[in-house]
Amino acid sequence: MDKIICLGKNYQDHTLEMKEKAPDRPVLFIKPASTFIEPKENAAIVLPWKRGLIHHECEIVFKLYKKNIIGLGLGLDLTLRDVQKKLKENGHPWEIAKTFKNSAIVTPIKGLRDFPKDWQDCPFTLKVNGEIRQESKLNNAIMKADEIIHYVDEFFPLCDGDLIFTGTPSGVGPLQPNDQIEMSYGPIHHSFKVVDIG
Amino acid sequence: MDKRQLSHDILNALERLRIMHDLAKDQNFAVIKKEELLNDLAETLEKLEVDFKQLIQ
Repeated sequence: MDKIICLGKNYQDHTLEMKEKAPDRPVLFIKPASTFIEPKENAAIVLPWKRGLIHHECEIVFKLYKKNIIGLGLGLDLTLRDVQKKLKENGHPWEIAKTFKNSAIVTPIKGLRDFPKDWQDCPFTLKVNGEIRQESKLNNAIMKADEIIHYVDEFFPLCDGDLIFTGTPSGVGPLQPNDQIEMSYGPIHHSFKVVDIG
Repeated sequence: MDKRQLSHDILNALERLRIMHDLAKDQNFAVIKKEELLNDLAETLEKLEVDFKQLIQ
């Protein structure tokens, strides 16, 4: 994988909950491949809690090959919300709020044939300690699959193996050490927990 | 061609091979058909060999 390309503000309900203005088109940013982690079932993922609030942003993830979607997963685009807020207030780029180690958590990717044909209408869910925090489907997003690929291709050289995080719906919120995470989307059902260092 | 670009191309080819392997292993031909995958394999291996030979010189 060369990079992870992320869409911001691709779900109107999330933009509203953040009390921000909707852009004409979703925001784009990248996370380096070194932020990526595919946790094994029931793995423990270490996060940098000392840097402030860490928010979960659950999103459908595309895996690309020759600019085609060859697989789907569910991702957590983790965000240092306090850090991001401060940077935004000062009009600075907020990259460092998004690029810490393990900040791009992705379930194992499944091939398209494992999903229903109308996979964009298939719901995805994030549960934290058994409580549903985020639930939506790609059909609720402003930009859907084909448009996302074209849009991203306008601005980034797409490489085989690149991942696209397609934006998060409403319900983002803080994680705490030892939270149990469950992510579900079509044939994907994946659990792990987030822990403190040491 | 400079060695840095060659190295980049080789690593991309290896990533491509890994994806092709996954597609074949999972019998995932919904988007990339078998024939296309075999063509990609031949092309990638050919280019990989050329690039690798240049890199080690």
